[in-house]
Amino acid sequence: MHKTRSLNRTSPVDIMARTGKWIYLIFFLILTILPLIWLIISSFKTNYEFETQPFALPVVWQIQNYIKAFQMANLGRLFLNSVIVAICTTAFNTLVASMAAFAISRENFRFKNGLLTIILSGVLIPIIALMVPYFKIVSGLGLYDTLPGLIITYSAINIPISVFLIHGFMSTIPKELEEAAIIDGCSFTQRYTRIVLPLSIPGLVTSGTFVFIYCWNEFTYAMLLTSSEASRTLQLGIRFFRSQFVTDYTSMLAAIVITMVPTIFVYIFMHNRIISGMTSGAVKG
Amino acid sequence: MKKKVILMLITTILALSVVMITGCKKEDESKADQPAKQELITLKWPTIWVGEDSKAPMIAALVDEFNAMNEGRYKVEIEANPDYDAYRNKLNSQIAAGVVPDLFVLNPDPTSLSFYEGDLLMDFAEELSGSWGDNFVSGAISGATIDGALKSIPYEVGYTPVWYNMDIFKAAGIPDIPKTYDEFFDACEKIKAAGFIPTSQMTGGTNAWTSMLWFSHIAASIGGPDVWEKDITDPVFVQAAEILRMMYIDGNTSKDAVGGDAGVSGGHFLAGRSAMFINGPWYIGRVKNDAPDVFKATKIGPAPAVEGGFEGAQIGFPQSNLAAGATDDPAKKEAVIAFMKWMTLPENVKKISMDAGSMFAVKFGVDDGEDVDLVQGQFMNAVNDSAFVNTHFQANFATDVVAEFGQALARMALGKATAEEFIQQIADKID
Repeated sequence: MHKTRSLNRTSPVDIMARTGKWIYLIFFLILTILPLIWLIISSFKTNYEFETQPFALPVVWQIQNYIKAFQMANLGRLFLNSVIVAICTTAFNTLVASMAAFAISRENFRFKNGLLTIILSGVLIPIIALMVPYFKIVSGLGLYDTLPGLIITYSAINIPISVFLIHGFMSTIPKELEEAAIIDGCSFTQRYTRIVLPLSIPGLVTSGTFVFIYCWNEFTYAMLLTSSEASRTLQLGIRFFRSQFVTDYTSMLAAIVITMVPTIFVYIFMHNRIISGMTSGAVKG
Repeated sequence: MKKKVILMLITTILALSVVMITGCKKEDESKADQPAKQELITLKWPTIWVGEDSKAPMIAALVDEFNAMNEGRYKVEIEANPDYDAYRNKLNSQIAAGVVPDLFVLNPDPTSLSFYEGDLLMDFAEELSGSWGDNFVSGAISGATIDGALKSIPYEVGYTPVWYNMDIFKAAGIPDIPKTYDEFFDACEKIKAAGFIPTSQMTGGTNAWTSMLWFSHIAASIGGPDVWEKDITDPVFVQAAEILRMMYIDGNTSKDAVGGDAGVSGGHFLAGRSAMFINGPWYIGRVKNDAPDVFKATKIGPAPAVEGGFEGAQIGFPQSNLAAGATDDPAKKEAVIAFMKWMTLPENVKKISMDAGSMFAVKFGVDDGEDVDLVQGQFMNAVNDSAFVNTHFQANFATDVVAEFGQALARMALGKATAEEFIQQIADKID
């Protein structure tokens, strides 16, 4: 009976709608995947093949592009630096932003909204406009060409977006939970560490993921604030294959593919939490 | 359990940060102590001549040789900055913040030359007024001097004649390279009929390099040696823009030229698909290694001349100067000058030139028996045979105006702007 009813519902309009839906989805899938496939295939070509036949398959798959990427740009060391910078920045930024978001979203004080607006307005400032002041601060602190210099800068740059995301999430946590905690004797700090922070983990993960990926892909400040291989990150390694007039495109693409792997894994393992964090923050509790 | 984890995480982060920051400061302090204990002067040289740059191996060898000769006294440390645009951004930010590297490569365009103002850069005017200055080609020193100050030493120069693929010309039944633009467009028709692309062009990149050079050649041919003294709205530039527009229509260039970058424009020439292309001597190695057949068929020659205009125009420009941060320390200044003298020594410059194919503002002789690359020799002849040498568009305008050139060119190539509107868009940016 149920089967019959279900078959009756499959009208030509339904079939067309479903077909249209799948065509639409497949179109965007191809649009998204194709550049990635092109990138991966191109990373196995010679420069001559890349420049003269950009959409053909390589005659011989050039594994040595990957070997060259690792050897010439010393990607191993740069990879380690990127991991250190991205993890430390994510941790620092999440800690500071969650504290700020906690105070703003859970406490009542004068100019609260004004303070939030000032913090969030940082999102609107192009980072290139802050290059000179950041350089002065970092070199003044004696942190030029050090990993802490990059970690502090990235943490600061990402505070507006992190506060925005975490504040949105924390605002949805019922006040009653904190009130009960106060009755049980929780202090201000304990409310933050024992009640609000654990309940905000999806929001923290969302914010942390954004920060991690930003750090992983950032180039401008990495270039500005470092000068030696000891403190450089992966994105600078990618540029090692470009010179003033000549570019080794295929080795550069091989390096790009290598650098993409961690971000892809972050998305694969975190995408559910990222989406839940973003949507939870958007709904009032 | 969760509480403990969070507390441990916070404690670890704070401890890690304290250790890293203090550790780093201690390292800096220990570095700061070094000069007092030793006489060794270390000069940091952030440079673009690393990685894939054709000059990189010889530059590194010369730096090593300098360090070995001056062991215990001076040491130059190369800091690799292969990405040219990023290098310029970094330098601009550093200099704006008042922190100038010990040594660096300065691109002598209007934006970078504004660094001459103030006292952040070392002035070499006095040193170069002596015998050291005699190493340089005529006019190079005076060209780099502004208000009596010589704050960057002319070094690498670029010449960009036209690269002609004579195999394509033969296949199209054209006996020789075009001397006028009438001959040029006739040749384009025959080249298209033979199944090839007449010219390599590009509107992409930061400066639409190949097309910007075509425009500079045409403008030089119409306006002569002083063309860049004219206002950009002068009819000379509109006429030049119209010829450039014609190179983009009717299949005179590839479809991917709009938005294409140097890889696209160079790729068509390398593949033997396009007949005419413009680039400098640094591209010799790429053609020689990747497209030996095209290399054998390549003829370097002047661009065509506009009827009634100036014949024998060549585009040449100071490409990279050497510069240094000013210092009150006489010993450090001595070290900088010693290194600059070393890098501009004619025999050292000759080594770089012969190895990389680059051209320099420093004079050096080539003996008859010496093995000069065939195409490099043609480059030298093209320069020697020219009636006059003009700089290109990029050398005469600020970075944002140069970036606008490509944007405006794309509009014109797509038929969304006339030659007048193309020029007006650039003029608006200058204003």
